[in-house]
Amino acid sequence: MPPAPVTEEELQRLCEFLYRKTGMIFGESKRYYVQRRIDERIAATRAGDFAGYFSLLRSDIDGEIEQFINAFTVNETYFYREDHQLECLTRDLLAERVRDRPRSAPLRIWSAPCSTGEEPYSIAMWLLDNWPLVDAYDIEIVGSDIDSRVVEAAREGLYGKRALMRLSPEVVARYFIPEGEDHWRLIDDLRQSVGFTAVNLVDGPQTRAHGRFDVIFCRNMLIYFDDASRRVAAENLYEALLPGGFICLGHTESMSRISPLFTVRRYADAIVYQRPLERVRG
Amino acid sequence: MADTAKKRVLVVDDANLVRLYYRDALERAGFEVIEAFNGLEALETLLDGPVDLLIVDVNMPQMDGLTFLTTLRSRDEAIAAIPALITTTEAGPQDEAAARTAGANFYLTKPVSQDALAEYALLMAGGAA
Repeated sequence: MPPAPVTEEELQRLCEFLYRKTGMIFGESKRYYVQRRIDERIAATRAGDFAGYFSLLRSDIDGEIEQFINAFTVNETYFYREDHQLECLTRDLLAERVRDRPRSAPLRIWSAPCSTGEEPYSIAMWLLDNWPLVDAYDIEIVGSDIDSRVVEAAREGLYGKRALMRLSPEVVARYFIPEGEDHWRLIDDLRQSVGFTAVNLVDGPQTRAHGRFDVIFCRNMLIYFDDASRRVAAENLYEALLPGGFICLGHTESMSRISPLFTVRRYADAIVYQRPLERVRG
Repeated sequence: MADTAKKRVLVVDDANLVRLYYRDALERAGFEVIEAFNGLEALETLLDGPVDLLIVDVNMPQMDGLTFLTTLRSRDEAIAAIPALITTTEAGPQDEAAARTAGANFYLTKPVSQDALAEYALLMAGGAA
């Protein structure tokens, strides 16, 4: 049974809390939108009711503030979103991928969907600041989205304040140039370090045209598909991975519900899915 | 001290991320950094005037780092003697010997930490200013 609708007073408390944390304003006119997301989070956290959930949120149990904010920003993203996965990338995944590999083999990372570029650029920035082998491999980062307009915006690399909210002033100063009152443009070297393409992940030939990757970030896309499209996309993503390659999904998503092809791997910072290494037939 | 007094380093590498990684380390060490994508672009860049240090990758398209250094060292100009630090993933003794023959003054195998890069750059350029 869904939890009881929130009262006016509860909604107001929550909106104030949300405003303090994000600067976003959700008034009574967005009541349905807010109620839906509160219900989702109450269900996901098994908090039972609003009072239980709100106390959990305020105490930030299991990083619930970020999860809550993410639930409200489905079509928007920002730099260093879910950075625990980036942590996992540099601490565990890349270490496994570069083991026993020649230095000359390129290391390929795919961000799909990439929206307006925050995720693939975050990967590049994160590698520069956190991966000591960054100069030792030929790193290729590709960002793809079904929407060619957002791909074009990604190439432009121009962002507002909200996209930069998780970045420290030092990181902003290092990688962005202020433009006008309240926009920042990524420096050229970073913009040129990511290649952007428009691709529909349900389309096999389009997906295959990108070759195979060591790591794919495919966050918060499969949740919008119906079951059939989801399975097709999962197959395509599997094909787009090198044997032993990894795929990172959004925190509310599970590949196990969609496809048996992948092996679940649990690391300190994240759960990721792996295409198994090919067995030698004999 | 004004920026004009800073020593200049030319980083020659075809990987944007690597140039950015080195630029960051060198700027924090007090250098002014200019960049080139390969040997050809580096030669073109040096037409604008000499720099105090070259940091050069080996494997690059169109003109690799060793060809670039050989070409540079054969020039009868002031730029022929700019000190050059090779940074490369080629780690064999024969690779280092080839780099020395081409005219490299020092050789580091990637990965090169930002601290190490800054330290060698300062030593080779005789300080940053």
